Amino acid sequence: MSVLPAPLQPVRPAFLTRVTPVARLVAGMAWLVASIVTLDPIVPVRLILAAVVALVLWSGLPLRRIPGRLAPLGLAIVSLTAFSILLSSSNGDRSVAAVVTLGPARITGPAIAAGLAVGLRVGVIALSTLLVFGPSDPTRMADSLVQQWHFPDRFAYGTLAALRVAPFMAGDWGTIGAARRLRGLQPRSPAARLRETGGRLLAMLVATIRRAERLALAMDARGFDSGIRRTHFRELRTTWRDWLTIVVALAVAAAALALPR
Amino acid sequence: MSTIPAFKSSLAASAESTRWRTVDIVVVAAIAVAFGVVFWFWNAFVWVWLRPLGEPWEYVISGVWVMPAVVAPLIVRKPGAALFAEMVAAVVSVILGSQWGLDTLLSGFVQGAGAELLFGFTMYRSFGPIVALLAGAGAGIGEALHDIPVWFPTATREVQIGIASLEMLSAAVVAGIGGWLLVRALRRTGVLQTFPAAE
Repeated sequence: MSVLPAPLQPVRPAFLTRVTPVARLVAGMAWLVASIVTLDPIVPVRLILAAVVALVLWSGLPLRRIPGRLAPLGLAIVSLTAFSILLSSSNGDRSVAAVVTLGPARITGPAIAAGLAVGLRVGVIALSTLLVFGPSDPTRMADSLVQQWHFPDRFAYGTLAALRVAPFMAGDWGTIGAARRLRGLQPRSPAARLRETGGRLLAMLVATIRRAERLALAMDARGFDSGIRRTHFRELRTTWRDWLTIVVALAVAAAALALPR
Repeated sequence: MSTIPAFKSSLAASAESTRWRTVDIVVVAAIAVAFGVVFWFWNAFVWVWLRPLGEPWEYVISGVWVMPAVVAPLIVRKPGAALFAEMVAAVVSVILGSQWGLDTLLSGFVQGAGAELLFGFTMYRSFGPIVALLAGAGAGIGEALHDIPVWFPTATREVQIGIASLEMLSAAVVAGIGGWLLVRALRRTGVLQTFPAAE
């Protein structure tokens, strides 16, 4: 499990931890959509600021761990922005004055603005994702999808059960590798190494499927597919907090899009 | 009288063929989880090294992302398998910290839906290599329909067309044919005995 990143968990009670997951999902999606419908860089900047405020004040997440977690995004933002600016179609438009000219290549003001808007989308999306998935775990998300949005419960809880196989995968990977070495399968050339990786992935998938089959058998033995109406252990209800979160998120998205510069 | 049990059992068989058993749900979800974990490694350790290839060439092997949408239906052969598997893989990759975050859910939905439509056209009766290839391409079209407006709205028409066609081709070859070969390899290990794909 150590290979996979540990999930961020709230370390103190906070407003968003008491908002149900689907309400946070609606709010996060509103910001995602607001950031992808525009090519004006001021919109993602405003949304990033709003998301940082929400993270600090209401998420309850350990703030010190967040920069490290988001660091890989820097590369994504820079490369996407650079690409969007360099290959922008507005650079070819001779009626727009060039800001930078490098030989035959020219970069225009609109290209830079639109490129920044596209690159900064990554930031808006990453922060809203933290606000949606950070304050509670997958179990609560499944509860919320089943009780509030009436997702089919066998699919939601079956998926939740299947999530348990993820931690075993790293161990399987190591064991399978050791077993193959023991049998003298030691690839030298890059092509052989690629085949070896393929073989290991297949064996890992087989182990995962077998584990899932046993899990399903155990679940059925305990009446998972009995057809009797399911009652809920952890009851979730839509409260005023959910509506407040959704209304505020929509208002922030609308303001980010509509406010003059 | 003798026709009635036969009639009943054929009805039961057709109901059984579209109803999801627990083992179908858990195995498809587990395969999707496995792919979600692979995606996380892929995004963090492989995809970043493809960046220097430049657009649109880095999309040559983007088909890996839509493999669950082909592999899961080939195994369980049930309506909804493509969409369900691709969505679970997307959710897992979000939970693990995909750089595309919530947007992965949108990607997963359109990619799964693209493959689902293709399997739906055959009434979920045909699962050969040709259908797999077309389903892969369908998922690739879904992928492009999402990626072009969201990530490459400013790019020139040529680059946009280049990315879209590479995504589609890569999905057809890597996910379609690759997915079909993967299911064949899985079948030979005997792990799929409880599924229709075992035949």
